Amino acid sequence: MSDLSNLDFNSMTPAEFEQYLPELFASGEGGKLSEDPRLARFLAANPDCAALVSDLETIADTAKNLLISEQEPSDSVWSNIASKLQQQSDDEPVDLSE
Amino acid sequence: MGLQGLPTMQTKPNAGLFKRNPPIAGEAEAIERAKNGDPDAFSKLYSLHKRRVYTLCLRMLGNVSEAEDMTQEAFLHLFRKLGSFRGESAFSTWLHRLTVNLVLMHLRKKGLQLVSLEETINPSEEDAPKRDFGSRDTQLAGSVDRVTLERAVASLPPGYRMVFVLHDVEGFEHNEIATMLECSTGNSKSQLHKARLKLRELLRHPDQLPEMESSREVVQ
Repeated sequence: MSDLSNLDFNSMTPAEFEQYLPELFASGEGGKLSEDPRLARFLAANPDCAALVSDLETIADTAKNLLISEQEPSDSVWSNIASKLQQQSDDEPVDLSE
Repeated sequence: MGLQGLPTMQTKPNAGLFKRNPPIAGEAEAIERAKNGDPDAFSKLYSLHKRRVYTLCLRMLGNVSEAEDMTQEAFLHLFRKLGSFRGESAFSTWLHRLTVNLVLMHLRKKGLQLVSLEETINPSEEDAPKRDFGSRDTQLAGSVDRVTLERAVASLPPGYRMVFVLHDVEGFEHNEIATMLECSTGNSKSQLHKARLKLRELLRHPDQLPEMESSREVVQ
């Protein structure tokens, strides 16, 4: 893992910043990179980098909401499962306990 | 707990997943009854968890038919392995991991090598995200429609989609993903970043995203 503690964001180029981004996002679990005070000056001076960070945060935030939307499998899935289990129990009595 | 024939994953509880998997009324009783061979109880477990399992399969595979097949496999596997569930983690977490392992095994069988993310599930040059910052006039408007993001995720190359779904949607940590995909945590972080960059590109032109295959959506 890269050591991010010694990075000087104020002298960093946008290309260098992008190199560190995967690690910066990973190290900032729970907190927003766009609100990290270490980056405030750099992001203010580099609006394209600020836009990138903002967009990637938006994507990650929206992704969390995908978990609440679920899809329904077709009824044939259960029919197939039930049929296979029935077939199995006809061949060999099923005992689900250990 | 290792699943027979499947890669073993750590059982360290993931706080995020526990938060997302609160106990379900009647579930514990159904598990015990199903362990004793009660078919109605197994049917109840299916009803309680079918959407979660199916949606996970659909997001990881990006294909309704394969997702339904894997859902079927997951519940048949569950039927065989239920006796080994000890309640050390939430049942839904346990079933979730079982499903992830099955999907990964399925993808390996299909030839999607997950051993080295750098070399094998890296998408082709045309699929890779462009390495520029883009211009601010096409910046995402501060919010992304959930349905549009779902369509964009389905359009991702499989390797990117896998890491994105596991990390950003399902809440796995990079070290857990690295174990599952047999890669380094650095690879996992890098793939996630590339996946988000690719999504950013896709989301700038939502009108060009393919329509999702039809499924019945249930919002909790």
